[in-house]
Amino acid sequence: MSDMNHHHTDQELEFKKSLRPQTSRDEKYWQSLEEYSKDPEFMKLAQTEFMSSPLSEDSKDESEGGWARREFLKLMGASLAMATASCVRRPVQKIVPYSKQPEEVTLGVPNYYTSTYFDGSEALGVLIKTREGRPLKLEGHSDHIITQGGTSARSQAAILSLYDPERLKGPRKNLFNEKRTNKDMVDTTWDKADAAISEQLKKGGVAILTGALASPATRSVVGEFCQAFKADHYSWEALAHDDVRAGQKAAYGEDLVPVYHFDRAKMIVSIDADFLGTWLTPVTFTKQFSKTRKDFSKMSRLVVFDSNYSLTGANADIRVRIKPSLQLDAVMGLLHELVVVQGKSSYAGNTQLKSNLASFASSAKKLGMEPELLKRIANDLWENRGQSLVVAGGLAASTAHSLSLQVAVNLLNSILENDGKTVEGTHGLAALKGSNEGLLELVKKMNKGEVKTLIIHRSNPIYGLTEKSGFAEALKKVEMVVCTSDRMDEVSQYAHYILPDNHALETWSDAEIAPGVYSLQQPTLRSMYDTRSVQLGLMTWAFLAKQGPQRLLAYETFYDYLRNFWKEEIFPKYGKGLSFDAFWDKALQEGYVGEEKNAGARGFKAESLTQIKNVKSLDEGYELVLYPTVQLGDGSQSNIAWLFELPDPITKITWDNYVSVSLATAQKLNVKDGSLMKLEVGEDSLELPVHVQPGLHDGVLAVAVGYGRMMGGEVGKGVGKNAYQLAQVVNGKVIHSGLPVKATVLKGTYKLAQTQQHHSMEGRQIIVEATLKDYEKKKEHLIHRHHTWNIWSGHQYNGNKWGMAIDLNSCTGCSACMVACQSENNIPAVGKKYVMQGREMHWIRVDRYFTGSPENAETVFQPVMCQHCDNAPCETVCPVLATVHTDDGLNAMVYNRCVGTRYCANNCPYKVRRFNWFNYAKLIEKPMHMALNPDVTVRVRGVMEKCTFCVHRISQAKDKARQEDRKLRDGDIKTACQTACPTDAIVFGDMNDPESKLSKRFKDERAYALLEEWHAAPAVRYMAKIRNNGQESKSAETHNKGEHA
Amino acid sequence: MIKRNQLVLGNKSLKDITDDICAPVESVPSKGWVGIFLVSKTMLLFYVFVLGMIVAHGMGLLGVNHPVGWGTMIITFVFWIGIGHAGTLISAVLFLFRQKWRTSVARSAEAMTVFAVMTAGLFPLLHTGRPWLDFWLFPYPNQRGPLWVNFRSPLLWDVFAVSTYATVSMVFWFIGLVPDFATIKDRAKTKVRRAIYGALSLGWRGTARNWSHYEMLYLLLAGLSTPLVLSVHTIVSFDFAVSNLPGWHTTIFPPYFVAGAIFSGFAMVVTLMTFLRIGYPEFRDYITIDHMEVMNKIIMTTGLMLGYAYGAEFFVAWYSGNPYERYVFMNRAGIPGTSGDYAWSYWMMIMCNVVIPQLFWFKKVRRNITAMFIISIFVNIGMWFERFVITVTSLHNDFLPSNWGNYAWSFWDGAVIFGSFGMFLTLFMLYLRFVPAISIAEIKPVLNVGRDDHKGGH
Repeated sequence: MSDMNHHHTDQELEFKKSLRPQTSRDEKYWQSLEEYSKDPEFMKLAQTEFMSSPLSEDSKDESEGGWARREFLKLMGASLAMATASCVRRPVQKIVPYSKQPEEVTLGVPNYYTSTYFDGSEALGVLIKTREGRPLKLEGHSDHIITQGGTSARSQAAILSLYDPERLKGPRKNLFNEKRTNKDMVDTTWDKADAAISEQLKKGGVAILTGALASPATRSVVGEFCQAFKADHYSWEALAHDDVRAGQKAAYGEDLVPVYHFDRAKMIVSIDADFLGTWLTPVTFTKQFSKTRKDFSKMSRLVVFDSNYSLTGANADIRVRIKPSLQLDAVMGLLHELVVVQGKSSYAGNTQLKSNLASFASSAKKLGMEPELLKRIANDLWENRGQSLVVAGGLAASTAHSLSLQVAVNLLNSILENDGKTVEGTHGLAALKGSNEGLLELVKKMNKGEVKTLIIHRSNPIYGLTEKSGFAEALKKVEMVVCTSDRMDEVSQYAHYILPDNHALETWSDAEIAPGVYSLQQPTLRSMYDTRSVQLGLMTWAFLAKQGPQRLLAYETFYDYLRNFWKEEIFPKYGKGLSFDAFWDKALQEGYVGEEKNAGARGFKAESLTQIKNVKSLDEGYELVLYPTVQLGDGSQSNIAWLFELPDPITKITWDNYVSVSLATAQKLNVKDGSLMKLEVGEDSLELPVHVQPGLHDGVLAVAVGYGRMMGGEVGKGVGKNAYQLAQVVNGKVIHSGLPVKATVLKGTYKLAQTQQHHSMEGRQIIVEATLKDYEKKKEHLIHRHHTWNIWSGHQYNGNKWGMAIDLNSCTGCSACMVACQSENNIPAVGKKYVMQGREMHWIRVDRYFTGSPENAETVFQPVMCQHCDNAPCETVCPVLATVHTDDGLNAMVYNRCVGTRYCANNCPYKVRRFNWFNYAKLIEKPMHMALNPDVTVRVRGVMEKCTFCVHRISQAKDKARQEDRKLRDGDIKTACQTACPTDAIVFGDMNDPESKLSKRFKDERAYALLEEWHAAPAVRYMAKIRNNGQESKSAETHNKGEHA
Repeated sequence: MIKRNQLVLGNKSLKDITDDICAPVESVPSKGWVGIFLVSKTMLLFYVFVLGMIVAHGMGLLGVNHPVGWGTMIITFVFWIGIGHAGTLISAVLFLFRQKWRTSVARSAEAMTVFAVMTAGLFPLLHTGRPWLDFWLFPYPNQRGPLWVNFRSPLLWDVFAVSTYATVSMVFWFIGLVPDFATIKDRAKTKVRRAIYGALSLGWRGTARNWSHYEMLYLLLAGLSTPLVLSVHTIVSFDFAVSNLPGWHTTIFPPYFVAGAIFSGFAMVVTLMTFLRIGYPEFRDYITIDHMEVMNKIIMTTGLMLGYAYGAEFFVAWYSGNPYERYVFMNRAGIPGTSGDYAWSYWMMIMCNVVIPQLFWFKKVRRNITAMFIISIFVNIGMWFERFVITVTSLHNDFLPSNWGNYAWSFWDGAVIFGSFGMFLTLFMLYLRFVPAISIAEIKPVLNVGRDDHKGGH
């Protein structure tokens, strides 16, 4: 037995080695005397992946079999139960592909690996920063063809889920009683579980329920597994896009989510599609959108019809507040204007359409907007046909009439000749197959007893779907439920076997980031616990049951399968004369292969027009709007405190969801922030605190989903309420918004933790904002400049002088920078209680102000961090010189010296300093300490902290330049917030270098210093925001006049 | 010639004076004293517990936060430092001006100063994030390279100002006590008592040489203390005035703070003297209504000065054209268009410090013990709120509205204030028990002032 093992391992290792690129060693340079003398021992060692093995000490000698003692004991136990030695499929995978850094792991020098991060909706090309073999941070991969370096708040927080103390440490089994009312979880072994499951699978009636699968190789494994067991594959996501897919199917015949190209659009109309925040692939969209906003001579225009105050709405040039029942009016109103009033397009003679549009003649009035404005929007669309884009979607558009809306949107895009240009629907996003309807079908099947085995992977309908779907009940009728959750959550508690999947950072995989563009996901550390990738699980079961296609059974690890899959499926298409090994290496080094597919326009099916039904909008009462937030998304990252503590970009509320009401509604119902309200939708009800939101439609009650998890982690347990439960199932369709909702005001109040309580700039020049027309007229007079003078000559900066420029015109407020900073700089989350006391620790915050009338408020964002002032007010008042000026212009904070008088914080006009009120570092639970960045001190209680301009990155870049015997180049240093930003709003650089990107930005006429007249002489410049609404502002200096409070 | 009122009533003989003043020190303490002492001592123990908790867990227990980085501890520090001022003013400044009425209240006022400064001195030390490193605030020779303090920081000036003030006022108080300690030693009936008071009296023998040296030293110390009356609170005000925060950055702060300090100090003296008169009826002959009236006049005068300062601040905020400063002051008063979250504290301050002391225009009120006691309590409250207004309202709504937030008042804030009174009262009760509360040596020379047999004058 053990001989077989032995043999097996040797063979495996040899195989692995043969796959590895051979390291050819340069003869000219030698590392050591051993290498110089070609010492055989050394040469053998040099051919291994690691000069020193990452395996534990006693398993280091690979020829000995390489089993750690613990694993050996486990095997011994398992071997008793096992019939054949070949069953032992224990992958030993080691991973050392480098893309940026030299191959040696040098202590203190981070290594970066290209990889992908998939959050259930969007796959991002990322770089994973590791130090001494442990992943620390996800960075944007700026050379990636699709995502081009952006990240989101949630992807930045993913690292914490790897080190989540509540992850399952190994396979578990549920000792159900007959009625499955109890939950007795016991540890089990992989082998026992595998044997039981493979036996069960042979009985047939297999179904797999997964979340969205971005990985083509995984989809292939699942497909082949389904083939093997005649299983059905269902894909479900809480934020499924049934509406978009149904609309596409009706209008063009293809059931898919199309690819949108915002970078090609000069005129964008969004109806509740929060494409900058949460819809489809928001990071990529944000990147694309931001590119159309940088050149003012051809700046794009964004019009948003917004039921909730979304992040996209906040960035709109023209925002129209609506309620869900008016969504169709927005699109049909535009169509009416174009087709009926102006007689444009070939559809002008279509009688069916005309009759459809007849009732939308007065849409503008219904929408509460000037008819002139609707006409302007329509004209803009027409003038930019082929370069415009109309989108609708998201939970707020998941209504009873969503098909009408989607068909109308598709028609509008086709009329505007956008299809095939800004909308690419021939290929579509293969990952986004998640479907509520599919799930409801599965429930039916389960109820009929047709499903004997259900394998659930990365899918949690018990939390994310209304109870009325009957999923939880139906689950009890399944003989065996296998769940691959990495924790005990709402769904895994009903599973017979919980076989925890590897974390994405521990496992090989791939992703189709856009049609034709593929990226690999590489593991950056060995599995921390006794977990196994779900793909290997499926392969193992097929292998044990001896069923399935050859390819599924041939490989012992998913890595091998993946390589082969790429060799067979992707390499032939994109290999272009490379050997496969070279192609594979290229994919790992560059982070992607292939290029985006483009396709032509599709024919709009005129018969789909019959699908457009009128929507009766309620004059009285309120409509429900559900929406996902930028910070929590669908709610799957429920154990990450960073995300709960990240203030919502619009409301600035942390740690809760709430019902947003408009000012007029608040007045009518006599409620204010923190009043309690009971929402009743059908038979469901939810009690929530109220938040009064400027700019909301008076007929809307908006609630965020993603909160109210009861299982899945201590952090998110019971935070907020689960608003998914307000969704309704109507005619086999899950409806989230537009439902009539009854609001009852309850007694009592509930305190919400808001990080910003004042929402007006009080007429101060804080964020300079102008319309494009104003800007073109005023140019350098846009900003009120102050005359400042100094009796002191100031600091001399002879070398570098670091500075930062933030383009407020690019910033969308997405807050990825805040989480990136938190991850980079070991910033603690303090919890709701202390956020309420004003003790959040963010070094960079995104200030949000409302402008204009409160009913129709517009939003502006401003990221604020330490301004590194030349005349820093903090420096003079510290009695112990704990905060001092460096000769390259940084305001340095010496934690060791700080006694914590907090005088510096009081004297800081920007209030960017954060104090350690308690010993937060003490609360870091193992293994979360592994996520700490070793380059940054973990602060003790009682000291002040603040943004350092990522001083450790500056020194690293300097060290690197010195080693390479060159000067620092512009762009060598990128701060954490800068790399996280999907819009390139943040630029860091040397003010003393006149050629640097930074210096050029500083010279821009839009650049200004915050509180310039106070003459702290900050090293940060902001650049004025420009709103392209086609108008001149009514008062020339809106930003300088008092706005509403 | 206007007839002078007698400074000491009751036709006392010299022996009567010694007997009267030594009585509390030499007799078994009354039930009242024991009761108050037990209460104060319990408060002190509670205070020790509270401070221990704060040192153990961190400043987070208090309501200080972002943006209000300073709170109860700094407010209460300035409050107690301010109270300390009256003692030095009475004992040093009035001594130099030869105001003979000062003699009967000087000792207790000075004691109050010493104890108030002791109480105050703890706050800046404990309100740091890492109090165990407070010694870094002192410029002492060290081995951390030439790591020195920042002489540009007003907090450092504060360290010097307060420590100097504490030292000088303690020495001054103690020197004044030497002849009286000798008196108690002479009257002592037990050896232990004799030994202790003997040691405290530094070998005082009452010779002409002793007296000559004593008076010269007393005069010198008075001269040394006088500038301190002005400097200490000036420098404390620099903590605020030298910063760049609107509402803090004001040139009027030094005189305004000194006036406020004298105002609050005299109010506290009136409060304590009222207690003294109740607890020790024999002292009514020494601390007469006339004394109280003079102090009330000072309270009224300094109250008017404060009123002027409050007005001047508003004028300057408007006149400067600085929008941030204008906002801060409008916000303090709660003028519509501002948040006005702390307007109540501002109007409380105006009420207590400016309006209520105007009652002292009436002679009847000035000479009514109950009335003056109530007013003095209001002034004490008002002066605490003045510091609250300055510290909190300036910080809570400053430059960027996104930062605006309120102080997160907690149980521990209240506990700190409450406990600090425990410390002060315990010290004061012990002082009444072990130290003659009126200067025996100084009261005897003024015995004849205003006495009838001298037909007025002196």
